[in-house]
Amino acid sequence: MTDFMTNRRTLLTGAAALAGIGALPKLALAQGAPIRIGTLTPLTGSGGPYGPVMVKAVKAVIDEVNAAGGVLGRKVELISEDDQTSPEAGVRAARKLIDVDKVSAILGTWASSVTTAVAPLCWESKTFLATVSGADSITQLPHQGYLIRTQPTTTLQGRKFGEFVIAEKAKRVFFLSPQTPFAKSQFDNITEAVKKGGGETASQIYDDKKPAYRTEIDEVLRFKPDAVVFGGYTPDTAVMLKDLFRAGFGGLKVAFGYSVNQKLVDSVPADVVDKTYTISPSSAEGSKAYERLVKLIGVPSPDPYTTQIYDQINLVLMAIALAGDASGTAIKDSIRKASQAPGGAKIDNAIDGLKAIAAKQPVDYDGASGPCDFTETGDISDSKFRYEQVQGGKIVLVKIA
Amino acid sequence: MVSYVIFTLTLCGIYALLALSLNLIWGGVGLVNLGLAGFFAVGAYASALATGAGAPVLIGWTAALAVGAVVGLVVTFATLRLRDDYLAIVTLGFAEVIRLVALNERWLTKGSDGISGIKAPLKAELGLMGFNLFYLGLVTLIVAGIWLLLRRLDGSPYGRAMKAIREDQQLAAFAGKTVLRFKLQAFALSAAIAALAGALYAHFQSYVSPDHFQPLITIYIFLAVTAGGVGRPSGAVVGAYLVVIFLEATRFATEWVPGLQPVQVAALREILVGLALILVLHLRPQGLLPECIPRAPKPVPSKA
Repeated sequence: MTDFMTNRRTLLTGAAALAGIGALPKLALAQGAPIRIGTLTPLTGSGGPYGPVMVKAVKAVIDEVNAAGGVLGRKVELISEDDQTSPEAGVRAARKLIDVDKVSAILGTWASSVTTAVAPLCWESKTFLATVSGADSITQLPHQGYLIRTQPTTTLQGRKFGEFVIAEKAKRVFFLSPQTPFAKSQFDNITEAVKKGGGETASQIYDDKKPAYRTEIDEVLRFKPDAVVFGGYTPDTAVMLKDLFRAGFGGLKVAFGYSVNQKLVDSVPADVVDKTYTISPSSAEGSKAYERLVKLIGVPSPDPYTTQIYDQINLVLMAIALAGDASGTAIKDSIRKASQAPGGAKIDNAIDGLKAIAAKQPVDYDGASGPCDFTETGDISDSKFRYEQVQGGKIVLVKIA
Repeated sequence: MVSYVIFTLTLCGIYALLALSLNLIWGGVGLVNLGLAGFFAVGAYASALATGAGAPVLIGWTAALAVGAVVGLVVTFATLRLRDDYLAIVTLGFAEVIRLVALNERWLTKGSDGISGIKAPLKAELGLMGFNLFYLGLVTLIVAGIWLLLRRLDGSPYGRAMKAIREDQQLAAFAGKTVLRFKLQAFALSAAIAALAGALYAHFQSYVSPDHFQPLITIYIFLAVTAGGVGRPSGAVVGAYLVVIFLEATRFATEWVPGLQPVQVAALREILVGLALILVLHLRPQGLLPECIPRAPKPVPSKA
């Protein structure tokens, strides 16, 4: 009898212990330290108009996820720093995020120089970095996988411009741009695409602070172009368009969507800018993720950077859940399982994604900025572009392709 | 946290070198050099390019010193007839010229992509933490060395002559001091120190780009020298450490202000920097460690 008692007691203890073990990880996780995510966006300096909305999008996603119980049973905490659009200040801020706050990932570096300066700190400290900078050189850094970007490379953008002017039957293409991180690569890739179509190109780099561009325009017209591609920003492109109109240029005009925007169209006489085409990386406007983002932050048409950082935070949170670990290395190893698992369920936000992951389903995130699939080097493999034309003072959508 | 403190102190040291450079030329000879960021850039690029071409790091730093001094001489020759505000504007222009050259001469500087992967001395051997400590020690040592040298210079007859030129150029010339030679030497030395700071920065960060050298750095250094005390090397060093620590401290201080959006916190930090400058100028215009002006020796009573 005593034997049996002992056995039963042992059994009970054993069962209790087993139950305890089962409960332990859950208990430990629920009480675990919060998962810390940093944003390093420009809040002051020349990127100042973009950063604040970007942070707002990240904050909204994190609040939503926390309200739904967090990730791995842990709360997610956001720490925002300002890179002041300067690599020197950006490095100081990144140091603080990495060494003091010990964030798992840094999101949203905007200027290419800031990203290039911050990237080594990230891979050395095994912190994950997601960026919206476009310069080709960034993904060529030895980042060991600790970096992804959601912005299409300049190579891709340049090629799209070149292919577009060829499709519009232009043979002599002139590229006009101030000195920017992407001017050269942009021109090289336009040239490549135009040469393939049997055309010819020339380019000029100008000073973007001049009040008039007579001499530059003379140079352009001497080339007798059928098409002019503008690589500048809004203020200098406005002056350039006016001077080109005054000189009687009647050919094809193509510019970036961010430079020939409604503000520019409103600020110049209608004839000056009429029939100008714009090309920009298309946000996945109309997609579920995009509409969700609009509702979440209450901004009617969020800029591309905001849609991108929204996708970055969703992906990072899902990657943490997939890995069962919040370290930068874990994010690096599982980010592609969140963004492009073969045969995965199409997911457009982290809340649904976390549910699917808890149910052991593979996931394939399609975001507000596009399909968000990444190559080995961290570039997005596919991006849609948005072609628009100015018609009678309005910007009209031509196609998304 | 420890590595953050080490990083901040290293940066303090580099800023201190810039402050010493500015103090020598502004506090010493009285020439306002708003082109500090330009000399900083020249040194950074010189060393990055030299080591990129295969030279050892020490050679790179020597090259930065030499190129800095030469550029300093060129700028002085170009501005011989200018003083005060006019000189300040031209030096400001000089810094912009350097930045634009770095931005546009892609064959040399890779344009706005910048030069990445600059050799970090002994990083492979020491490991990450070891390297950070080693570099902190090195920079601090260099700051201490240059601080001692400049202090010595201040107390020497050479330093007194410099300050005589600062106070009244014509009078100094009248007293037989070769004003031009003093100006050239001081400017070259000051430029070389700023260039060395640039080289140290480049090898610490392993990356330089034209964006690094915006005029804001010059403003920070002016703030440092003003807060520390113009005309005294100790003041410049103390001022630089205070400015960097203050800039970093505002990060943590603003976290305690409740109910602010991140963008408002960022703006608040900039407001604090401006406020600090106004307060320093208002409450202690001579700086924390004002220049010590030795009393004139009593005339020795001549023997009757």
